[in-house]
Amino acid sequence: MSEALGSWFKGFLEQVRIRKRQYLLGALEIVLSALTGFLVAALILYFIGYDPWYIFEIMLTYGFSDLGYLGTRAAPLIMTGLAFSIPLLAGVFNIGGESQLYMGALLGLYVAYVTHNVWLGLIAGFIAGALWGGLIAALRVYRGINEVITAIMLNWTAYYTIIYIILVYLPNPKQSHLSVQIPVSEMISYGETFALAVVGALIAYFILYYTDIGYKIRVSGANPRSAVYAGFSPKTAIMASMLLGGGLAGYGGTLIIAGVTGSIDTTMSTLYGLGFTGIGVGLLGRNHPIGIIFSGLFFAGLIIGGQWVELLTGAPPYVTDTITGIIVIALSMPYAYRLLVNYMGRLGKK
Amino acid sequence: MASNEYAVEMRGIVKVYPDGVVALKGVDFLVKRGEIHGLLGENGAGKTTLMRILYGEIKPTRGEIRVFGRRVSFRGPWDAIRQGIGMVYQHFTLVPAFTVKENLYLSLLSVNPKARLGDAVSKADKIAEETGLRIPYDEIVEELPIGVQQRVEIIKALLRDAKILILDEPTSVLTPIEVRDLFKALRKLRDMGITIIFITHKLKEVKEITDRVTVLRKGKLVGTVETGKVDVKTLARMMVQREVVFKIEKKPAKPGEVVLEAKDIHVIDEEGVERVKGISFQLRKGEILGVAGVQGNGQRELAEALAGIRRVSKGRIILGGKDITGYNAYQRYMKGLAYVPDSRGTGLVPDMNLVENTALTNLYRILGWARRIKWDRAVEITSRVIRELEVVAPSLYAPIKHLSGGNQQKIMVGREIVREPDVFIVAEPTQGLDVAATEFIRKTLLRLRDNGKAILLISTDLDEVLQLSDRLAVIYEGQFLAMGRPEEFTIEKLGLIMGGVRE
Repeated sequence: MSEALGSWFKGFLEQVRIRKRQYLLGALEIVLSALTGFLVAALILYFIGYDPWYIFEIMLTYGFSDLGYLGTRAAPLIMTGLAFSIPLLAGVFNIGGESQLYMGALLGLYVAYVTHNVWLGLIAGFIAGALWGGLIAALRVYRGINEVITAIMLNWTAYYTIIYIILVYLPNPKQSHLSVQIPVSEMISYGETFALAVVGALIAYFILYYTDIGYKIRVSGANPRSAVYAGFSPKTAIMASMLLGGGLAGYGGTLIIAGVTGSIDTTMSTLYGLGFTGIGVGLLGRNHPIGIIFSGLFFAGLIIGGQWVELLTGAPPYVTDTITGIIVIALSMPYAYRLLVNYMGRLGKK
Repeated sequence: MASNEYAVEMRGIVKVYPDGVVALKGVDFLVKRGEIHGLLGENGAGKTTLMRILYGEIKPTRGEIRVFGRRVSFRGPWDAIRQGIGMVYQHFTLVPAFTVKENLYLSLLSVNPKARLGDAVSKADKIAEETGLRIPYDEIVEELPIGVQQRVEIIKALLRDAKILILDEPTSVLTPIEVRDLFKALRKLRDMGITIIFITHKLKEVKEITDRVTVLRKGKLVGTVETGKVDVKTLARMMVQREVVFKIEKKPAKPGEVVLEAKDIHVIDEEGVERVKGISFQLRKGEILGVAGVQGNGQRELAEALAGIRRVSKGRIILGGKDITGYNAYQRYMKGLAYVPDSRGTGLVPDMNLVENTALTNLYRILGWARRIKWDRAVEITSRVIRELEVVAPSLYAPIKHLSGGNQQKIMVGREIVREPDVFIVAEPTQGLDVAATEFIRKTLLRLRDNGKAILLISTDLDEVLQLSDRLAVIYEGQFLAMGRPEEFTIEKLGLIMGGVRE
């Protein structure tokens, strides 16, 4: 085992040595994008009458001060980041992370509530997300329906279905705007929530880089012609990536329920937007599970910091949303642009 | 005056591509007004490059172009179109989801922004009347047969008042009846005074349709002759004659038992065109069976069908006595078949490193418990490839796109060799390589043969197949027109068969 780890480390160092230039340029790109993002955000803040320096100070100090809370808020984002990135490695745009997370949250909550076992809940959450993602993949693979369109429609389908189910079948007898609660004894701590998210990301990393199916997923996305040449089925790669990505989103949905709220509210305010933010998380993490852990933390910090800004300055939420949005766009744009150029180029060659 | 006589005058055309490849080495190309002029040559002779220059798609490095006597310098195809030049590509440039009418309108708009849909139809009607090229207006283009799409493409060019029409291998996608109709229409166009340049490698068609023909070979002009005054044998000789650059030492072959057998294979491509029309052969241990032919005659489809990447519509493939027709590529590779594709864009994943690229066809050998990849095993295999094929690479972990073409090719060949398969299907193994790398790859193939491997070598490089093959088959339009020992083929005979003339 230690020998395998040693050879892995040697390989890792070699990789870093040979791609040093590439990594340095990547780091430079991120720093420059961040600066651009903050600069544009500062200009906007200045023109609408806020002191940019003060706002950023609140965002960055308050956002990243409580590490336990930061990790918890990052957990679902890491999962939806993976839900976007893993299919993208196979060449599929999964913007259905949003509803895959909903489905995982609902089924995870239900199973944990009924069985009084949070672990079963997490497994159920994974399965629910995987099936919801698998549906998109199946429609794409067997019926040729564009995955983006399916995902958008299924996002809303899931949104309203869940509100309906909570109101009709799982209402909380004491608080009418909430669903039933996970037993308090089964709630997990902040530290555990983050640790479980990291475990999820590491498993994703292992599957992508150390297994047969992960390799096939990556080849299919990087050069579909090579995949066909090697006798890999592109259909299998798409299905596998969506099952895994969707499953992780669902698992992330259960993580928030089990780690933070214990229930789902009827306005979906705890869940809404996590899947969409995951797109930015995945792009900023450069589609790499380990990178996504860090970009998830960064995003969570911005979101928490934004809420503190609202609290301390009385700024309306759309101001902080705009600021976060600009920074996110600036950070993901260079990479997203390259992906898009690549994708369009491939379309052109067909 | 020259300006009266010639529609196209290209003199001293030189084209050096940015990567240093010299595609044209000073070619003169003169086309008279109102004639059908054939442009004949093998792959890489420079036919397409010359025509892309005439159509303004690329610029010549040196040389002078005159169209109807006027000196021109095109910045792009739009300039060429304005001078009355039209091009019909092998792969059409129609919008597949539009109707015929909409496509015609679109092309008319590019020369006349004020045109209306009705103008396109009435003008097209007139052209159809004169040429006999009948097309349906309201059908969706992608639902039409290829032959009809081609007619739409020709009419599209004529709509823009093309006086010079370039057709790039127009018959390669057509059935014999469609070819007959096309030729009839081309003759009518000629009678209307339109000059036609007909790119082809098919000798029979040159004889049948052209008035004069220009032959190119390896970027040089061989000559322009009046078609009526030469026979196909002369044309074949003009097309393929060559000096052999270097010879490779070759021991006599010791063929063993049959390991791969193809029985009447047929393959239909994505567009529904039958590309392989009943090919049968037996391949023995310790021999190289060469497949010569001009590109696009079904070579790729044949290779891919044998490798399991494409389905055969009919026929059986037997490997080592076992029927593998229903196996996919991965299963066939495990059973001892190797395929080196004709393009590195297919065989390699540019952004992945050497180890990951080697793993591509070696995957079944590096899987451990629960389908885990043993990367240290992959590293061992890659190191062996690098050692045995003398690959020059900065690191095992460098992205393969950072390697030179020759080294990339060595990885592609080498990763198959180390698997020790019984049968190699090798397509264009030395395409784009320098002399040293070419010689290395060719010697490697001979060494494999001497070690008792069976090799099917598919190549459009005549030198290569003649040098390496123990037996030689000539493919033309998806069929083996001839099979024999390489000594049995004179260069002239080979040229004739490659051009579709069977004696």
